[in-house]
Amino acid sequence: MFKQISDVKQGLLEQQYIASDEIATVVFLAEQMGKPILAEGPAGVGKTELAKAWAAASGRELIRLQCYEGLDESKALYEWEYSKQMLYTQLLRDKLSQIMGTASTLAEAADALGREENVFFSQRFLLPRPLLRALMNDKPVVLLIDEIDRADAEFEAFLLEILSDFQVSVPELGTIKANHQPMVVLTSNNTRELSEALKRRALYLFVDYPSFESELQIVQMRVPNLAPQVARQCVEIVQRLRGLDLKKSPSVAETVDWAKALVAINAKHLDEKTLNDTLTVILKHESDIQRARRALSGGKRGPDVGIR
Amino acid sequence: MDQRIVEFVSALRSSGVRVSLAESADALKAVAAVGVMDRETFKNALKATLVKEPADVPAFEQLFPLYFGHEGPPMQPPEGLSKEQQEQLRRAIEQLREQIRQLMQMLAQGQQPTREQMQQFAQRAGINRGMRGNRQMQQWLTERMLREMGLTPEQVRDALEALMKQLKQQGMSAEGRQTVRETVEGNAEALREQVARFVGQSLLNQPDDRPRRQRIDDLMNRPLASLSESEADELRNHVRRLVARLRSRAALRMRRGKRGHFDAKGTIRYNQRNMGVPIELKMKRRHLKPKITVIVDVSTSMRPVAEFMLRMVYEMQDQISKARSFAFISDMHEISMIFAEHRPQDAVEIVLRELPPGYYNTDLGHSLSTFCERFADSVDSRTTLIFVGDGRNNYNDPRTDLVQMLRMRARKVIWFNPEPPYQWGHGDSDMLAYAPLCHAVHQVATLKQLADAIDDLFQSR
Repeated sequence: MFKQISDVKQGLLEQQYIASDEIATVVFLAEQMGKPILAEGPAGVGKTELAKAWAAASGRELIRLQCYEGLDESKALYEWEYSKQMLYTQLLRDKLSQIMGTASTLAEAADALGREENVFFSQRFLLPRPLLRALMNDKPVVLLIDEIDRADAEFEAFLLEILSDFQVSVPELGTIKANHQPMVVLTSNNTRELSEALKRRALYLFVDYPSFESELQIVQMRVPNLAPQVARQCVEIVQRLRGLDLKKSPSVAETVDWAKALVAINAKHLDEKTLNDTLTVILKHESDIQRARRALSGGKRGPDVGIR
Repeated sequence: MDQRIVEFVSALRSSGVRVSLAESADALKAVAAVGVMDRETFKNALKATLVKEPADVPAFEQLFPLYFGHEGPPMQPPEGLSKEQQEQLRRAIEQLREQIRQLMQMLAQGQQPTREQMQQFAQRAGINRGMRGNRQMQQWLTERMLREMGLTPEQVRDALEALMKQLKQQGMSAEGRQTVRETVEGNAEALREQVARFVGQSLLNQPDDRPRRQRIDDLMNRPLASLSESEADELRNHVRRLVARLRSRAALRMRRGKRGHFDAKGTIRYNQRNMGVPIELKMKRRHLKPKITVIVDVSTSMRPVAEFMLRMVYEMQDQISKARSFAFISDMHEISMIFAEHRPQDAVEIVLRELPPGYYNTDLGHSLSTFCERFADSVDSRTTLIFVGDGRNNYNDPRTDLVQMLRMRARKVIWFNPEPPYQWGHGDSDMLAYAPLCHAVHQVATLKQLADAIDDLFQSR
């Protein structure tokens, strides 16, 4: 548990996550108030990374639920393990017939079987999915619900119930209450409007692309053996590319990958050839690459124009 | 402080930010957790609890300094006056005229005016809380309030001279008088600053009168043809969100639509894990994604509707198994290729640029015959054929026979017409001839109608 906002910042920094004041404040508040964080922003600015760093910094386990279209309760919450149940019935056949052997009528046999019913609907056969795992864990956890905007609106509504009460009811077992209230991080790439109700329950955090200084800091921290001069150039170019109208702007993770690639090819400085060879690391569409080449070569067409 | 936060919340609400009761309670809790010592932290705490949408951030940023800015420098009592001199000052002030007495009490003795007093002055200056106004109006009202309080430089100078005269009569030393003079001048400056902030808080600084959401709803219901360029831009941005909603509805419907046949092979395969006991049945899902061919009229009158139609169809491409599009004015052109190569927003512009509108040369009949000759393969038994047009043919042959033929081939023929039904058949409109040949005709003059019509496409399969 963090005592101060500066502790949060320091803790995240130790996990190689550079948190702005805003991020640190929100994480601190989430701990204090026990509220979920809803982190929104473009893809690849480190929303997921925040949850990982938070979990590591606070010594909690991270449980991740990746959302997608058509995600439903059985994949998110729990499922009965049919095959295991089936296997047990087969293997325990002798014992079952023993129990029911004493019964003289069908009704008695059914009653005898009924008494043993909760053997088959016990936690032994319950297959907990991320949400239930987060609730049933012995230790407090960080629950990351990634890309909630990809799930359907009905799943969102179902999630609300869990996020407000931190309990679920399994019809066969009764209500399962959280041992510890998990810290929840929801991320969204803002591809659709989330419901008001969900937003109301969460602390809102808009994460944008980092500034030049913080991105440089990130690159230097993650890729320490890149020459400072190259790191600077590399971040400068990425920041410029984000200003262009691209199909997919380069993310922070891609900047780091690029920096790693430059280390791998042992680049001493970022000349035109190196740039052309490695641009595919940060840009993933052919049209984007063309556009970037044009823009970086000073707006002039033609391959012979150097990059300064 | 709590009171202040509540006031801030209500200011946020009146500039169109939706803040629920629970959220304002959260804000108070959050502030209690982080404290108010650090202004930046305090601001972040409020932001995280109150603002839940990037679009609302500007309103927050604008209002925050007004409510939690420094209140303006505080006023100071005169320093270094002896007991006797203070008494002299008090008596001197009492000797002053009624109008300037109160002012000098504040300025010379450093008495902070209470909020109530400020409000009284404001009311006399004609400022009501919650008034709307821009920056100029704010300046003007500040001037008025300063005059009302007697704080304009000239007024203060005159009042100060009067006080000095009284002090001299009371027998205060020149040194003491100088201290009082400096105090008064410093305090006048501070109070002016405070007044300016006070006026800023009372006014809701908002260039746009209507809340944003309402505006979008409003635009959704406006005929597309009557939008100004900036309004159309705003709507274009909205299309993406609208499409995302339609898309998730379509996907949901597809998932729920369990109308498939029993899949024996799949069931056996799946239930191998249950030792062949068929616990879960598998169904053959029919492929439900529609195949769409759009024929749009891009003549001048139809352009706004055509643009939004194409935009939406191509933004929804992942819910459509195959989309082909054709544009016509006097002849038919395939435009699918342009969409394949460019992003929807660029593609729409290219299409509109490459097919320049002519004058009175719309000819659907001729275009249709070209279509049937060259592109007939784009219509098969799984295709939904959509016409977007007003059905005005400049008295050319409507070629209803070709539409009839296409109807036989296609799964469905649907017509989107921006004109209201009562205009069909008037003048050069052949709509009444086409309408009976279509499975459905939708009027799509506004974005809302367009969205509904497209949603309908996914529903009725």
